[in-house]
Amino acid sequence: ESGYAQNGDLEDAEPDDYSFSCYSQLEVNGPQHTLTCAFDDPDVNSTNLDFEICKNLVGVECLHLSKLQDRYFLRTKKFLLVGDSKICVKLGDKKITCKNINIVEIVKPEAPFDVKVMYHEEAKEFVVTFNTSHSQKSYLTIKDLIHDVAYRQEKDEDNWMHKNLSNTKLTLLQRKLQPDAMYEIKVRSIPTDYFKGFWSEWSPSYHFRTSESKGEWMD
Amino acid sequence: MVLTYNFTNCDFTKIKEDYEKLIVGDFQTYINGTKSTQSSNYIFCSNQSDCLAKIESLTFGTHAGCGSLSKEMFACRTKATFAHRCPDYPRVKVNNTQAMKKRKKREDTAKECLKHVLRLQGLWRRFTRAP
Amino acid sequence: EELQVQMICFNFETVQVTWNASQYPGTNLTFFYKFSPEEEYSPCPRYTVDQGHATGCLLGAKDAILYFSIRDGSRPVLTMDQWVSEYLKPSSPEDVRFSWHQEAVTVVCTNLSYNGLLYEVQYRSTFDTAWQSKEEKSCHVTVDGLDAEKCYSFRARIKASEVSYGSATHPSDWSETALWQGGQPRDRCPEKEPLS
Repeated sequence: ESGYAQNGDLEDAEPDDYSFSCYSQLEVNGPQHTLTCAFDDPDVNSTNLDFEICKNLVGVECLHLSKLQDRYFLRTKKFLLVGDSKICVKLGDKKITCKNINIVEIVKPEAPFDVKVMYHEEAKEFVVTFNTSHSQKSYLTIKDLIHDVAYRQEKDEDNWMHKNLSNTKLTLLQRKLQPDAMYEIKVRSIPTDYFKGFWSEWSPSYHFRTSESKGEWMD
Repeated sequence: MVLTYNFTNCDFTKIKEDYEKLIVGDFQTYINGTKSTQSSNYIFCSNQSDCLAKIESLTFGTHAGCGSLSKEMFACRTKATFAHRCPDYPRVKVNNTQAMKKRKKREDTAKECLKHVLRLQGLWRRFTRAP
Repeated sequence: EELQVQMICFNFETVQVTWNASQYPGTNLTFFYKFSPEEEYSPCPRYTVDQGHATGCLLGAKDAILYFSIRDGSRPVLTMDQWVSEYLKPSSPEDVRFSWHQEAVTVVCTNLSYNGLLYEVQYRSTFDTAWQSKEEKSCHVTVDGLDAEKCYSFRARIKASEVSYGSATHPSDWSETALWQGGQPRDRCPEKEPLS
């Protein structure tokens, strides 16, 4: 067992845990993708430590991630997106720990936005719509995402109800909601099928009220 | 020299997914909506391995009036897909480190290359629906 | 100006090539075709005619490259080759069936015999102004979140996926529209029934 002191000398200190996690985002800025990595242990001593990705890159053997506070970040067009790349933590030229990761399997979609709820009085239903930037992308398209719509009565702190859908429109029947109640609703997305990865951040919440009498709603 | 490899044992389902999710977008970026009404002397392929063999030859061969397509993004991904999904695909250094070609071609070369790319697109489409 | 030509491949059974006869007034253009470069051209088996002028040719099809030559007498006016699949129009869905389970319905029909298709179901209630769509890669499409009290219209069609066929294809004609309410078939939907 060995550890690394501040000055990089080997020493019998308690070994730091340099395990790390990464996520990618595709076509975040036009054709540019991003890769973000961070140590799992926020207290790890990351002085002089670097991250590097190699293999399955276009035109280069390896790329270096730059350090931003407690994260390491890369923006590039050079991901081949087929097959595994190798991501390593390095101390100078020495590889401390490495992982084989396929960029398309650690994808974190961008958060949905523009959540709206319209009350359809005749049909006695609330029509929920939202938007996603993935409808304009070439790789991780709208067909490659599942969306989680979460809604709750505002007074019910933790009683979130969830609906999973593959399109961007949902109908909530009025008779299934509490009358005269204030609701909060939000949406997030996760890759499905070919792409794998993590939930996006939640969209901004939207608030609406059901009303017993004329079924008006207030935004 | 382009090695002739027998594609019979490749994972066709995964290659189809790589094409559908990645390579299609690369072709679209390359072709960028150019509608070519000129005849393109399309190439037929009968089954999936025949299609892949012709795709490899057309992608990595050199063509009069066009030169090589092998540095285009769709070619880099095609090679990576073959390397990843076809057992013992020649590990001729799957040389991704060739810099991606900056696409400033002369008009006539671009036109000639576009013919080859449209043929490639025809072969890939046939590959995805071949029985 | 190059002769304008249109093509439709009906379900890989027949292919229809039509041309703008007015571009060659007073001339009867002739059509020759083959399905492989090595073959000899064959004459069109069946012309489509309008006001005594040949305006197109109808011939048997398969998933292959069609090589054709349109001639004015012996002079080729247009010689071209094209994957007929690029202009595919699948046949309409057949044997469409519905099976309901609570607030969801699964629409099933016979899959066509070739690949790369999308089976689309559209539905709307009497309160909806626009159709909503759901599509799958096989003819087994589940629509959920439906209101048992409402009367819905459903229709189905088959589309060629852009990945496998490109963007110049034609969707099939729609199947007949079917009406359902509370899991039961209806002959017609009430205008706007009052909801409880």
